[in-house]
Amino acid sequence: MVKKISFSILALAILAAGIYAFTRTNYWERSIRIFSYDRNAAFNGREGRGQGEPEGRRMPGERREFNRPDFSQLPDSVRARFDPGRGRSGPDSGNIPDSLRQLQADRNRQESGRPPFEGGFRDGGGRGRGEFPGGSDINLRNVKWFLAVFAMFTVMAIYLDKAISLIRRKNKTAAGPGNS
Amino acid sequence: MNTIKFFLSLSMTIVMLLLMDPRSFYGLGFHEWAGLIIGIAFILHKILNWTWIKKVTIGFFGRCKPRARINYVLDVLLLAGIVLMILSGIAIARTIDFSWLNLGGSRMFWRIMHTSSSFITLALFGIHLGLHWKWVLMRLRIKKVTYGEED
Repeated sequence: MVKKISFSILALAILAAGIYAFTRTNYWERSIRIFSYDRNAAFNGREGRGQGEPEGRRMPGERREFNRPDFSQLPDSVRARFDPGRGRSGPDSGNIPDSLRQLQADRNRQESGRPPFEGGFRDGGGRGRGEFPGGSDINLRNVKWFLAVFAMFTVMAIYLDKAISLIRRKNKTAAGPGNS
Repeated sequence: MNTIKFFLSLSMTIVMLLLMDPRSFYGLGFHEWAGLIIGIAFILHKILNWTWIKKVTIGFFGRCKPRARINYVLDVLLLAGIVLMILSGIAIARTIDFSWLNLGGSRMFWRIMHTSSSFITLALFGIHLGLHWKWVLMRLRIKKVTYGEED
């Protein structure tokens, strides 16, 4: 009896951990994503960010209209931010020659005290966009969630199998050896 | 033979769990090579159980236990899952060059296919293990061997 109770508690713990991991890893959504894959939408890719538009995918029912505020009604301090020549958002920044742009970048870097970009690029020994970090480190943080989901399905199958066997056995007993 | 089957299944389970996160274990290189090896291990697993597969295939619509039918259908789904998982993995491989295969399709499609098929396959793996739990207990000598229970 003690054995049965301890196994039941263990099974419940596995189920609880599994359900938590299932929601944490978005297991359901990621499993059925292929069935809701829209080929045409995939070709459109991520919607680009137009002027005054937030970046990202368009969600159903989301309001995406953005009305640029009337500049004449803005206070001077805010309007000054949109003045030409301020940063890369300025309308004239596209007309600056590369040599001047480089000089400006160097000056900005010196002023800000930031080190130059050292991230590297693909095929240059660094890590590109969408690539995973490799190397010799072992990080099993996410694996434990998948183990929990896997164990949950195993426990569910074991108990479902047991329940079906029990029902079938009961039905056989109820029918009686002479009636079957 | 059963010992080989047991250790093969155990190693397949461990590797499958490690493969669920490409960043978890020695990066993408391990992920891609182990993914290919698990495919070979799966074929080996099927070869080792070929007698059972043949028996159930012949008697699927005839004299066959319902439990064996459920296991058979689950195995077919697992096979489909593994095939899709490996195929999509080949299409999006980065460390091994499979460009000569010309699988076509967009990278996004194969990526989503890889994630979905691996998630569904892991769930099926769990159910498969649950339905063969008695066999596992027999191999671990926790339960007495009774012939015919594996079906």
